[in-house]
Amino acid sequence: MLSIENLRVVYHDVISVLNGISVTVNDGEILIIIGANGAGKTTLLRSVAGMIDFYDGDIIDGDIKMNDESIKGLDATDIMKQFGLTYVIEDRPVFWYLTIEENLGAASFSRWDKKVKTDMEDVYGLFPVLGKLKHRKAGYASGGEQQMLAIGMALMTKPRMLLLDEPSLGLAPIITEELFSIISQLNQTGITIILVEQNAHAALDIGTRGYVMETGRIVLDGNARELLENEDVREFYLGSGKKERKSYRDAKRYKRRKRWL
Amino acid sequence: MKQRAFFVLAFTLSLILLFIGPLSAKEIKTLSQFPMSGPVGSLPEFGWGFIDGMNWVNNEGGGVNGKKIKWFLEDMRYSPKVEIANFNKYCAEHSPDEFLIATGYITGGLKPLIDKVNKEQKIPWLDGSYSAEIFGPDGGPIKYPYYYSLGATYGDQLKILLKWIKENYKGKGDPKVGLVYSPTAWGRDGLAEARAYAKKKGINIVAEIEYPYSATSATDECMQLRKAKAQYVIYHGYSGASGCTAIFFKTAKKILKRAQLMGTHYTTGRMPILVAQDAYDGYVGVATRPFCDAVPRAKTPMDNKMVKMAHDFAKKYRPEEYKKGLRGGGIKDMFLYMDGMTYAFLLQKALIEADNAGDLSREGVKKALDNLVWDFNGMFGGKTFSYKSHTIPMLQIFKAQVKLVDYKGKKVPMGAVVPITDWINVDEVKW
Amino acid sequence: MVDFIQALGSGILVGLVYALLGLSIVIIYRASEAFNFAIGEFLVIGSFLFYIFFFDLGLPLLIALPLGLVAAGLVGALVERLTIKPLLGRSPLSMTIITLGLGFFLRACVQLIFGSHSYSFFLELPDITQEYGDLLFLSDPIWAGMLSLCTFGLIIFLLFRTRWGLAIRATSENQAKAMAFGIDARFILLIVWAISAACIAIAGIMISNFGALSSMSAIVGLRAIPVVLIGGMDSIGGALIGGIIVGVCESLAGAYIEPLGLIGFKDVAPYLLLLIVLLIRPYGLFGEVRIERV
Repeated sequence: MLSIENLRVVYHDVISVLNGISVTVNDGEILIIIGANGAGKTTLLRSVAGMIDFYDGDIIDGDIKMNDESIKGLDATDIMKQFGLTYVIEDRPVFWYLTIEENLGAASFSRWDKKVKTDMEDVYGLFPVLGKLKHRKAGYASGGEQQMLAIGMALMTKPRMLLLDEPSLGLAPIITEELFSIISQLNQTGITIILVEQNAHAALDIGTRGYVMETGRIVLDGNARELLENEDVREFYLGSGKKERKSYRDAKRYKRRKRWL
Repeated sequence: MKQRAFFVLAFTLSLILLFIGPLSAKEIKTLSQFPMSGPVGSLPEFGWGFIDGMNWVNNEGGGVNGKKIKWFLEDMRYSPKVEIANFNKYCAEHSPDEFLIATGYITGGLKPLIDKVNKEQKIPWLDGSYSAEIFGPDGGPIKYPYYYSLGATYGDQLKILLKWIKENYKGKGDPKVGLVYSPTAWGRDGLAEARAYAKKKGINIVAEIEYPYSATSATDECMQLRKAKAQYVIYHGYSGASGCTAIFFKTAKKILKRAQLMGTHYTTGRMPILVAQDAYDGYVGVATRPFCDAVPRAKTPMDNKMVKMAHDFAKKYRPEEYKKGLRGGGIKDMFLYMDGMTYAFLLQKALIEADNAGDLSREGVKKALDNLVWDFNGMFGGKTFSYKSHTIPMLQIFKAQVKLVDYKGKKVPMGAVVPITDWINVDEVKW
Repeated sequence: MVDFIQALGSGILVGLVYALLGLSIVIIYRASEAFNFAIGEFLVIGSFLFYIFFFDLGLPLLIALPLGLVAAGLVGALVERLTIKPLLGRSPLSMTIITLGLGFFLRACVQLIFGSHSYSFFLELPDITQEYGDLLFLSDPIWAGMLSLCTFGLIIFLLFRTRWGLAIRATSENQAKAMAFGIDARFILLIVWAISAACIAIAGIMISNFGALSSMSAIVGLRAIPVVLIGGMDSIGGALIGGIIVGVCESLAGAYIEPLGLIGFKDVAPYLLLLIVLLIRPYGLFGEVRIERV
């Protein structure tokens, strides 16, 4: 179980991005985090994965605990090795100049052992298209193939918890659908998944629970089903809800109805 | 009241003393500048030799007939600008009646100072430069009456080498000589004289190669010399301690197996033995000073009075630096130390001669130098020279004998350059 | 004809050493996008470290060489830890400027410790001088070329055939992505600097073996600039070809153009060639084609 307690993060010592966030992730669930651009979703994932220093950010308050053990301030590689937590950064994090096979190899660097080859075969089984293209440079693969490769690479690290940052970015709806079904398949094999998405509808469909973030705070949480039906969520993230158009001033999101966790 | 009167009296007295003191006795002041730091590296030996020499001159040496010399020493950092600035500063600070001689060490500073020294200040200037341009036939006492060099010019050095080649050449036809020189004012200095002399003597200069300081390989240069079939290679215009010297000798030894390697003053000495090791064996070179520092130092020939004196001084006044040698902070090459000393002795000699003639002024010192006939404390094997050409015209030809010996499991070079001619006075040579 | 072959041969031999210097620039450039301007000082320091083990302590060559290289690698790693690591994630330009300053600092250190006079540097390697009539290739450049080529091959093997090489290549492409997949980018960067410093040390030792070692030897390091610019800043094969091109260009200029009276042309020729190459191919001859996605 991962619990984030009252986390505050500042970039370059001045830009405050997360203003006290608390999130709990239960083992075996798919947690969905939705929110507008700049809400701090990516920063949250970076903090959890231990990569916040790399972007010159600082955790100035709060704590991140994995099964009651603090992982705040640990290196990304240590968090990955000790807690099986793998972060798939946004925008298809594959190595363009390496072949697909080499990409998978590079991802298994931290746990190099004899089983790498069989694990690779498993990934090819999950994504047959990767097996066909394994000697092609990843930079020449299509967007969907790259995103599949990214998830395949994440699997090579043998994760117990996967942090996915907008995997559907720039993908055709049909591929997004396929991708999300694979994600829920992975979840069924026992991997806890935290999924950050703009495509709220598709994400909430496969998720167990969800959080809504805005300007560095959690403004709403609940079961995925509840959220899907929540009027505000429907209005602002799903694009449905009341039929009449609202003026832009009214669309100031949750400013009036802020709720603190 | 009484107390106040006492203070007034004391104050007046001290004022009087302050002003009368300097006026009463005219001091003898000299300025010496050496390149002790800067791009050529750290060479404090010049200063050490000069300080030890000057201290000896003022105390045991008796000064200038009992009067002490007030000497100034500056590090000009191998920069003409610094040399000129220092000189200007001392000219402004000290009266021309007291500031009698200045010395410098580099050609670069001589040129911009020509007018200032020879026309404005009219102060005798002793210099370490062997520049043929300033002290050779195109310059000399007529053009630059106040410049004096402490050695024969590069033109004379090259000519002596060519003369030696002509005399020792046993093959058929004309001897074939290759010239290798650095692409600097130093390297090109004296070449015109050498070319003219070679032509006159029927020596064939088959190749002239500019070999830069920054070279990392001398293969191309040596192949060109091999193609030109040079029998003698004269290497001119380099510091013996620089890497390019070692590279050249090492490569030449392999490619030009039969050619005789030769060189001018600064590549004849201790440093090439250390850096070029056995590749330096057999080198024939000319030098303006007696060889004073063999490897190891214990084997240094002490038959020369000046060499012995330099070693005695170094052992007495700088025992630690003498022992340290090449290791950091030691006397790397006794030539530098000895050269510092020779300046001190020459200053004393010139001032004594001037004082004896009763004219202790800049003009008097100049006259004394022009008329000087001296053996320089036995530096030239007892031979005397006259300073009328404004260069100390003494040269000797040396041959290097270096071999590698095993020392504590390591191969170390051991050797010296030994004289193969007597001291030659180039003023008296029949060219 | 004989002259031409002679010039070509010696050019290639020296060029292989330049190629190794180029390689050490390229791997650092790929890993951190910084150009290491302190290469000359690394070269001098590496050679002096070897000098201490081989000449001062009198160890046999086969022990002194690895020790010297390890020591050079440690210096490279130390430099990376102290100057480059704090800048990780910042602009590569600031790292490049740091290396410039570092160069001055290290040069002063070397002069302070070793002085600025030359040290004789004769490795007693077996004499393999090749002489065929007028053709003559000296033993030292042949050794230099061979050893540099071997090192080059070893580095390529390391990069393309081992898991660490894979990690290095992945990190070189993108540090953030590498970190996300469990590759310790900072440690990889450290290793890259150490390897680079060791390569430079080998080149330095080989060049010093032509005659002598002094703080002036740092100038040789600058030959790596035309090498990598001609070959392409990010291309490993380009460094090899670029090195050979620069070596041959220098040698031909030395053999054919300098005797016409253009002294010093040898040092300029590679830069002239560089100008022409950059006009035709701004990425260098073998600069990697960027994968652009629209």
